[in-house]
Amino acid sequence: MTHAGFEAQVDAYLDGELVAGDARALETHLAQCPECTRFRDGRLELRAAIVTSVPSFQAPPALRERVLAAARGSSPSARAPRRFTVQNMWRPLALAASFALVALGSWTLALQRAAGVALADDVLASHIRSLMPGHLTDVLSSDQHTVKPWFNGRLDFSPAVYDFVGRGYPLLGGRIDYVGGRSVAALVYGRRQHMINVFVWPAARGPGGPSTRTRQGYHELHWTTGDYTYWVVSDLGLAELEEFAQLLRDADSTTSVPASR
Amino acid sequence: MESSALARFEAVVLPHLDAAYTLARYLMRNASDADDVVQDACLRALKYFEGFRGDAATSARSWLLTIVRNTAHSWRKRHRPDALGVEFDETEHSDAVVHDPEAKETLGRALDRLPPEFREVIVLRELQGLSYKEISDVTGVPVGTVMSRLSRARGRLQDALRAEEVR
Repeated sequence: MTHAGFEAQVDAYLDGELVAGDARALETHLAQCPECTRFRDGRLELRAAIVTSVPSFQAPPALRERVLAAARGSSPSARAPRRFTVQNMWRPLALAASFALVALGSWTLALQRAAGVALADDVLASHIRSLMPGHLTDVLSSDQHTVKPWFNGRLDFSPAVYDFVGRGYPLLGGRIDYVGGRSVAALVYGRRQHMINVFVWPAARGPGGPSTRTRQGYHELHWTTGDYTYWVVSDLGLAELEEFAQLLRDADSTTSVPASR
Repeated sequence: MESSALARFEAVVLPHLDAAYTLARYLMRNASDADDVVQDACLRALKYFEGFRGDAATSARSWLLTIVRNTAHSWRKRHRPDALGVEFDETEHSDAVVHDPEAKETLGRALDRLPPEFREVIVLRELQGLSYKEISDVTGVPVGTVMSRLSRARGRLQDALRAEEVR
């Protein structure tokens, strides 16, 4: 047990629920109290574990259908029974065929969606792990000309590195991370007290996105350029994170980035 | 239902069906009860939808989750009145998790063993990212209670994680 009362405070702090003054007081305390710091790190580990092992569920399609039917006031069971005649046979057959097609399509979609969700979870867990002390950056520099060359020889690609300090998003550094079964570049930007992780690796598919996901109070933005896959994660407000993502995309489109070096 | 109201229901409420199902799934702890609870809750939502004035997406989510949560709790009381008392006995569970050397559980199972009022704050915060204020609205308890429940629930889950690591 840490000091009574502090546990809920640390939780509220990690949940972004403390007012600025209390948050600063807690940060001061954390800086000098190894016990509370250990407690906080335990909570971050728990959070990462929840991301990887406590799933969200999708409502079954049949349930969605039933709710829709109820809303439209036409429950399928209320229909009058239809007589089974040869003339009417094409209907159920056509229906069955279209169901089979839909099922096949949604099955493929569900697989793709599941893979996307797993990747998004992986990205989020990496983001949370990076917030633990000593995990954020391997190369600590606000100079893009220091950070970019640092990746040479460590990765088989060279990520674009920018500094948006003029726009209020200073570059803090970079590191190698492991996401979706491969080594990726993680670039760290700051915004006030918030950290933004940008995960970059060569794209497997063509340009796509952007898509957005929110989980546990973190926002994830994802898009693909012709050359690279991007994931941007932060607890920053969604509007600001989208502004940052737009800066990144604009910078990418004005400087043509070679796919590999 | 009028077609404009129907369109609004589809646009405002149905996007939160996955969130509703996830909450019900963890409160009921099995798929078929969760299914029934969500359907029941949606029928109630339909009935009261005309009176729903919120426009922001988040408030529609909180509104639907509140109905799901209340439906789930009344289902549990109606169908399993005996199970309720057992689950509110918190100390027994935490002792079992920490001291029983056989207690190897995944986080998901540890979550299932928490009392429902702990389980719901974890799901609403960790899986659905609701603010303390929103959780307070959904569960009908003060923000201070949300804060302490969340903290104690996390403590329990961490105990379960540690028990797993020891083995």
